[in-house]
Amino acid sequence: MSENKLTYAQLLETNNLIQQNADETYWLCATRTVQESKIFPVSAYILFSYLNCFYRYPTLLKKIEASMSAEEIGDRARNQGQKITAWTLPCFYLLGREMLINWGMIKPTDAVEDVIYVLDFWKRFQLSWHRNNGNLTNRQAGHRAQVMPEQKLQVFHADAFECREGDPLHKAAQAFMATTAQYGFLVSCESRLTMHNHGPYRISDRREMLVRDFRELSEYDVPWLDGVGRDIPFNNLTVTMILEDCHINLLDDWGSFESEPEMRAEHMVAVGLYTADNLSDGHIPVGMGSKQELTDTFLDLTERVKVATGKLWQEMSGWTRDQQLDAGALTYFAVIKEFAHYAGVYDVDDWMMIDERAERFRPLLNDEYGNLFLGELVGYITTPSQRMHDYTMMQHTGTPARALSYFPYSILDDGDYTASVGPMRPGTSNLPAKVDRYRTTEGVLGLDEYNRRSREFVPNSCSPRFRYLCADWVKYHYETPLADELFALEQKDSRLLKGKGASLRRDDIERLRAASNAGE
Amino acid sequence: MSRLYEDGDKYGYQSDFAIVEAYNSAVKDLVRKRFDESGLAWRDFVAGRAYDAITKDDMAAIEQRLLSYGYRFEPSAMSSATERPEAYKDSGLHDENFCFEHPDAPTAPADAGGRELRGAGDNVVSRAANVTGIARYVRTSDKVLEYLTNGVPDDTIAIVDDSGGTLTAPILEKFKAVLCAGGTTRSHLAILTREYGIPCFMNARLSGIRTGDVLEVEATAKAKSGDDYASGSDVSGKVWRLKASGE
Repeated sequence: MSENKLTYAQLLETNNLIQQNADETYWLCATRTVQESKIFPVSAYILFSYLNCFYRYPTLLKKIEASMSAEEIGDRARNQGQKITAWTLPCFYLLGREMLINWGMIKPTDAVEDVIYVLDFWKRFQLSWHRNNGNLTNRQAGHRAQVMPEQKLQVFHADAFECREGDPLHKAAQAFMATTAQYGFLVSCESRLTMHNHGPYRISDRREMLVRDFRELSEYDVPWLDGVGRDIPFNNLTVTMILEDCHINLLDDWGSFESEPEMRAEHMVAVGLYTADNLSDGHIPVGMGSKQELTDTFLDLTERVKVATGKLWQEMSGWTRDQQLDAGALTYFAVIKEFAHYAGVYDVDDWMMIDERAERFRPLLNDEYGNLFLGELVGYITTPSQRMHDYTMMQHTGTPARALSYFPYSILDDGDYTASVGPMRPGTSNLPAKVDRYRTTEGVLGLDEYNRRSREFVPNSCSPRFRYLCADWVKYHYETPLADELFALEQKDSRLLKGKGASLRRDDIERLRAASNAGE
Repeated sequence: MSRLYEDGDKYGYQSDFAIVEAYNSAVKDLVRKRFDESGLAWRDFVAGRAYDAITKDDMAAIEQRLLSYGYRFEPSAMSSATERPEAYKDSGLHDENFCFEHPDAPTAPADAGGRELRGAGDNVVSRAANVTGIARYVRTSDKVLEYLTNGVPDDTIAIVDDSGGTLTAPILEKFKAVLCAGGTTRSHLAILTREYGIPCFMNARLSGIRTGDVLEVEATAKAKSGDDYASGSDVSGKVWRLKASGE
């Protein structure tokens, strides 16, 4: 019996966080079906990753938080973009828990303090990442992801170059996004974890902006991009897209969207390109000096990404199943590894290894069992642990089920629970050893140097002077020199807004754009 | 033998799928056995002794037991059946004469225009015009490598098994259209075809279409939205055969 340190309020909140993820898990998964691939044993590696998350996340998140709090990581993520963490962090972890409950390996009353901590970390990160809209998740915001502050959106808005279907910039941007999305699915072993969208942001009555982040395209954390990604000069690229007569009516916590009407190439009427990482002071324009320069930049990047795609496909199609299983599982498990980079505590052994406690289950993970067990866990919601009493009507389905198990409140009385899965154990991998090359906005660094710089670097927007100058502060202080300084942080590399200060409104930006376009 | 906490579940008894139930029950049996052998209280066993007492060899034995009954797994990834033909069913992926025969594929004799209905699917993006082209199954990395080396034949309407974006990654942009037998309009393949501007049906139900058939795909059909999925609306687009291969 553990020393009972739990409170009723803690369990109530944790069960609520579990339930929020449970409802969304079903909805997200049901609209995608179970992913399959002829190259990757996708379901099997997903299950494998869930186990690794369950055994390792508590220790790794605590290691990160020893250097940087979840809230500060949320601030950093807002500054430079982020992989899909909103759903993945809690749900990968909790689905690992659900698997182990169904195997009888743990009870719902085991690892209680771990679960509380992981969900609390996630909540604090999410609230910080979403602080400009006050929601915990995109789901809570009505499937909308308005995360960026006005000063950054103004720059994205102002500097996006107008384009129309068929013109060279439009063609080059479309080709880049299609090619890079394709590469991203390959890099992420058939998952969408390389690509993330946020927005929409209203530009005018007929226009909205969607911001798309492509993350981890070059040599960085995953060993399978060593060599393959060497000629891609940016690890992360952010594409700003202004859409006309196309309303993004849904943007979910997987970063995917729906629109009315369905988005087609003709809807994109302006585009911009940036890079950012945890060593950059916000977003750095890429090829944004002129429309021609941006066109040429997209064309050049597309060719580089195509070459890398061909190389990577040939490499991956020759992998053994164990290598495929490891790569996929590590892609999922390590989706939050950027947190360790923010904190400057990244370690290959932490993030690119399968913990020996998860490794035990590898022989179970054949394709058929993988597909069906995963299907039950996230699609059908029919494993024994997920079935509830007959009066229950689950959100979306009305069936007597619940995707993720709660803590029983009885543990407050009897104290009959265990606190943790314990410290991390050694890990293994069938993949080649990682080469010590990490592409950053400060060049290619070795890991020790990268960690050192990460620990020392604080983006200006996250510095004590500016960190808490939020949208509600700007609303009432836009005429102050400090507000101008805040906006100058984003405007410093802007083509149209450099030195323009904090007083502009969206319509002013439109007028500047119109004047700029007229002068082209 | 010990009774596990989960053995007292009032509402959940077993999984819906036999292999899931077989595996999960076998793991539970193993946990009961090792827990009994440990002589420990659960709290001392679960995050301590269990890590060493329940091993990878135990899991391999569970699989081996199932295989010894003659069971063979349904493969998804090509590597699975290739590496362990003794454990997986023949995938049939290399059968050059393969054609989908989905039981729910709508079919009808040729209409006045000579269009023979051979299937339907969920349209990713509604296009201005239907698409015609030549059906070609793309089911293996060998086929992708062949097309990567020699080029994708003109006017190819690729017919693929599943909704992933990786198998056809190096050649997808060369297809005239895609008919995918799985997935939804929000699957990875759907996202990619939307980005490339390639007409695509997901969840395609097809009957009797062979490589070389000339097809017309109703790319003008309504795109299937999240609301359509939520309401269970069928807004399928049609697939017609204009001419059979060899005719």
